[in-house]
Amino acid sequence: MVLLQTRNLGMEYDGKPVLRGIDLDLAEGELKVVMGPSGCGKSTLLRCLNRLVTPTSGQIIFRDEDVTRPDTDVRALRQRIGFVFQNFALYRHLSVLDNVTLGLRKLRGMPLGEAVERAKHELRRMDMVEHHHKYPAQLSGGQKQRVAIARALAMDPAVLFFDEPTSALDPLMSREIINVINQLRRDNVSMLCVTHDLFLARSVGGRVLFLDQGVIHAEGDAEQLFGNHSDPRIRAFFSQEAGNQ
Amino acid sequence: MSFIDILALLATGAGYTILVTLMCSATGMAVGLAIAMFHRLGSRQVSACLAVFTYVFRGIPVLVLLFIVFFGLPGMGIGVPPLVSMMLSLGLIAGAYLGEVFRGALDSVDGNEVLAAQAMGMSRMQVLLYIELPQMLRFSVPGMVNEFTTVLKYSPFAYTVGIPEVMKQAMALSAATLRGVEIYLAVGLVYFAIYKVLVTFVWALEKRYRVPGLTEH
Ligand SMILES: Nc1ncnc2c1ncn2[C@@H]1O[C@H](COP(=O)(O)OP(=O)(O)OP(=O)(O)O)[C@@H](O)[C@H]1O
Ligand SMILES: [Mg+2]
Repeated sequence: MVLLQTRNLGMEYDGKPVLRGIDLDLAEGELKVVMGPSGCGKSTLLRCLNRLVTPTSGQIIFRDEDVTRPDTDVRALRQRIGFVFQNFALYRHLSVLDNVTLGLRKLRGMPLGEAVERAKHELRRMDMVEHHHKYPAQLSGGQKQRVAIARALAMDPAVLFFDEPTSALDPLMSREIINVINQLRRDNVSMLCVTHDLFLARSVGGRVLFLDQGVIHAEGDAEQLFGNHSDPRIRAFFSQEAGNQ
Repeated sequence: MSFIDILALLATGAGYTILVTLMCSATGMAVGLAIAMFHRLGSRQVSACLAVFTYVFRGIPVLVLLFIVFFGLPGMGIGVPPLVSMMLSLGLIAGAYLGEVFRGALDSVDGNEVLAAQAMGMSRMQVLLYIELPQMLRFSVPGMVNEFTTVLKYSPFAYTVGIPEVMKQAMALSAATLRGVEIYLAVGLVYFAIYKVLVTFVWALEKRYRVPGLTEH
């Protein structure tokens, strides 16, 4: 079953096209990876999909509902999409536990006790429950990212978006996050992951979309794209990224 | 009359000094918070109006504004009680300064956290309430202490509108005893004591709500 689908999605900033003719679909329980050079529109794509920015053309269908219509309840939509950022974006003034319960209490109206229970469940899943009383500044990058994932999962989202979840992490911490993503895959969590990280893309499997200058140029298995692809742009990108690792 | 007696007499005025300082600081906090919030949520026109308010009220001397309110407004048929006059002059001026403090502190809030909160489905108001304001207040402590201290130091103007605060008591006492040096030294001590209590209280609050890694540099 299709969870999320875009048709001919386009986005412009001040008349400058950033995304063009994006046709993407994500099935329930599926993981897709979006790769592409810096500035190609990867973050913009994710932000269009949860309506943090408004696409200038095309349609986004989320569980059979056209969420590009002007009467769409964008805040309700966002509550159904978990978002994980490159720089973690934990609320620095809140403890790990409060980071995870905030949305449950203020957006879901859940009583404190229940919210704490649910938050601890997700923190346990991310192997972070023993750190629940700490503050973000007291955590390593990998730990922060796992709290951010717990925070997103606590809202019981229909899909998780990752925007370069390992870019700010060293290889060891990246592994932690890759393991988490693989674990979530086994739990059939639907995920859309934007990344530069070839190792991440390889390790989690899933189909890879190659985005360049706002256009999806290719889609296939990681190995298919990373191997000797016929498109020179794709070859150039992957050989350069492989060189960076 | 010993120095202790002088201190004891002045202490009766200290209550008014504290009252004036607290009321004007509270007015300043309310106005400053409102300014910062409207700047964040309001339109460009709103921001422009607030900028004019800030500009004017930071420029005008406290005493001039106090006299306009207390002696000027009654001429237009609007009588303003002394304490309210202090709040409308010193309080509003403090508000203009605190508004700047809060605005600067809001700019220190990480935009990524605001984005994350919006991505979670919070309204702009919820983001302000749960993410921006709690961090802003913590970042603002040094600026707030500074402004409260300034308010305390301007509070002697209250005697010009008939509030019997420390300065007023001291002047009466000095006229009666001609022991000005001791009396005004004692006044200095009283202000210092009030200052010390105020600052200790604010920093105790700060410590109570301190978050590791947020405000230490
Ligand atoms: N708010 C904005 N206003 C104007 N232009 C923007 C804005 N945000 C992004 N852009 C432009 O849109 C393009 C795509 O940006 P985007 O952040 O989506 O790229 P990206 O693929 O995520 O890049 P990176 O890998 O560096 O994160 C860039 O050229 C960028 O300059
Ligand atoms: Mg990006």
